[in-house]
Amino acid sequence: MTNPSDTNFDLIVIGAGPGGYVAAIRAAQLGMKVCVVEKAHLGGICLNWGCIPTKALLRSAEVYRLMQHADSFGLASPNPGFVLEKIVARSRTVAAQLQAGVKHLLKKNKVTVVEGHAKLAGKGKVAVENGPTLTAPHIIIATGARARVVPGLEPDGDLVWTYKEAMIPKSFPKSLVVVGSGAIGIEFASFYQALGCQVTVVEMMDRVLPVEDEEISALARKQFEGQGMKILTSASVTGLKKGKDEVTVTLGEGEIKAQRVLVAVGVSPNIENIGLEECGVKLEKGRIATDAMMRTNVPGIYAIGDVTAPPWLAHKASHEGVICVEAIKGLNPHPLHPRSIPGCTYAHPQVASVGLTEKMAIEAGHEVKVGRFPAMGNGKAIALGETEGLVKTIFDAKSGELLGAHMIGPEVTEMIQGYCIARTLETTESELMQTVFPHPTVSEMMHEAVLDAWGRAIHF
Amino acid sequence: MTSVLRIFASPLARRLAAEKGLDLASLAGSGPHGRIVKADVETAKAKPLPVAAILGQTEVIPNTTLRKTIAKRLTESKQTIPHFYLSVDLDIDELLELRTKLNQRAEGFKLSVNDFIIKASAKALRQIPAANASWTDEATIRYSDVDISVAVAAPGGLVTPVIRRADAKTVAQISNEVKALAEKARAGKLMPEDYQGGGFTISNLGMYGIKSFSAIINPPQACILAVGAGEKRPVVKGDQIGIATLCTVTLSVDHRAVDGVVGAEFLKAFRALIEDPLGLLL
Repeated sequence: MTNPSDTNFDLIVIGAGPGGYVAAIRAAQLGMKVCVVEKAHLGGICLNWGCIPTKALLRSAEVYRLMQHADSFGLASPNPGFVLEKIVARSRTVAAQLQAGVKHLLKKNKVTVVEGHAKLAGKGKVAVENGPTLTAPHIIIATGARARVVPGLEPDGDLVWTYKEAMIPKSFPKSLVVVGSGAIGIEFASFYQALGCQVTVVEMMDRVLPVEDEEISALARKQFEGQGMKILTSASVTGLKKGKDEVTVTLGEGEIKAQRVLVAVGVSPNIENIGLEECGVKLEKGRIATDAMMRTNVPGIYAIGDVTAPPWLAHKASHEGVICVEAIKGLNPHPLHPRSIPGCTYAHPQVASVGLTEKMAIEAGHEVKVGRFPAMGNGKAIALGETEGLVKTIFDAKSGELLGAHMIGPEVTEMIQGYCIARTLETTESELMQTVFPHPTVSEMMHEAVLDAWGRAIHF
Repeated sequence: MTSVLRIFASPLARRLAAEKGLDLASLAGSGPHGRIVKADVETAKAKPLPVAAILGQTEVIPNTTLRKTIAKRLTESKQTIPHFYLSVDLDIDELLELRTKLNQRAEGFKLSVNDFIIKASAKALRQIPAANASWTDEATIRYSDVDISVAVAAPGGLVTPVIRRADAKTVAQISNEVKALAEKARAGKLMPEDYQGGGFTISNLGMYGIKSFSAIINPPQACILAVGAGEKRPVVKGDQIGIATLCTVTLSVDHRAVDGVVGAEFLKAFRALIEDPLGLLL
């Protein structure tokens, strides 16, 4: 819909990504009359060009990898191959299905959807380009973020990619340089490497997945390198020289030639041209400053998700959307604890974590107890043929608080929620030890890693 | 009676509050449905404990785990158990005579008055099983075995090793067992199986010349017998004033589990066994 008959709402949400559409639905549940303005796709980057379609691609890579190892499972899969167009098409179908799902959910909740570019237009007003001017006492900015562009590494959509081009390649590159080893960079590196591309990852920091625990970073690197990936850390790209179907990447003194370059050096918030300056909305470190209830300095204007402080993750945006709306309704919601937001990387191996790393915990002055349990000691992992992995727990030695948990290996992205629940409920080691974990599951590693922090692991 | 209200608090909040000496009931919870969470404990100021002003030179003896356990259990006992007390004087002249005779034939034992008291208590409990009991919120528990806890002063504090099935043991067996357990207790070598359980406690301060005292019940038991010193006292025998060796015992009773009449019946049976001590040798 571009022109709603009624332009007065209780709440206007700008942006229909995982922050915006969730906020809109929650507000509708609470009886508010809600309008969402979206300029591109319902579901935002996450659902259309991020989290979801990449998981579809990585699933293809996983099946391909298993096919290559079919023999070790007693199965025959001679000369496995792939059709790139079909892999990409499946990924797009998955995204389209979910986009339709969001559309249905918004409709079901009687949320008005307006297509177009929205801009704050004074107190309680939102102007949609080539569209209506909407009014509401509460306006949530949920415009998200886009790939960060750094000088010298400007993507051209052909040889130099962002995640978007990497998601819909027209041809499969023989070689790829991935700049940046955060979750986005590593997931694409893993996907392309699995399908036979020679991938080189260039990271400025001294390790890959630099937000993860150092031990996990080291294990991840070892496995990626074991798969044939080249990893250059403490390295910066100083220039790109484009040729015909080839890019020469300069790294200080050295050079790498690759067919494509993927720049994955973070995201920039979409805060331009939406009327922030005109309304006097305050920024902090280039992001919209908010309080714990997602209120900006301007009454009636709120911000959630990637336009606000890190981490820039879909689930953080959704959660903030709910908190924001509930606070508007005076429900006194619980603020989001930044250290209880999990992070997942769906490479092979998977990586997942929540809370403090061991180093951060020690730097914060905690006396820590650290537990570790390797996948090699887990029956289910051995049965799966996935014995490379580690679960690591970090506890405050005195209070027994679970300060952080870090995992690498099979299914860890599905399992990290267990530790998230533990943190939210403020369990100590004692309740985790008392919890019965089903046998045989990979999750038993989580139990053992808790026991190990007190020197009580059974199977290692 | 205390009303038991469940306090909703996270495990971490509970642990932190215990460390800070904060009473959870005094905190307002900010978590879901008013649950007390870590932040509530952290923001709460620890209330100063009501300690009397300590002046002058002092020595600080840090609390051991045993000291803390004793403090906690006895405070709980005295505060939550409705105690009542029954006292009786025992004429122990015959018992002393019998004891002397038996000890003269000493063959690997030296019996004390307390050994006879343990045996007599055990036999009396067998006769009045309602006194061999524990109170719980759901039911009164009656023990089938007669297991007697004996209070022993150990270096770090009071401990109560158990003479199991004392009713079925001879006085000599009881005597040797008490000696062995007391030695273990003084050496700090009691094992949990040595002191766990027990349905009735005997505490004897007679050797210090204490005439009589009232003991605090040793939970979850319902009765404790406090034994004073045996001493010669003037007594009325018939219409004459005579001299007898008397010993005053006081039974502290948990009224929730054991009524006054049951306590009195127990002491009556106990006194009969002590004053006609040959029966204890059967």
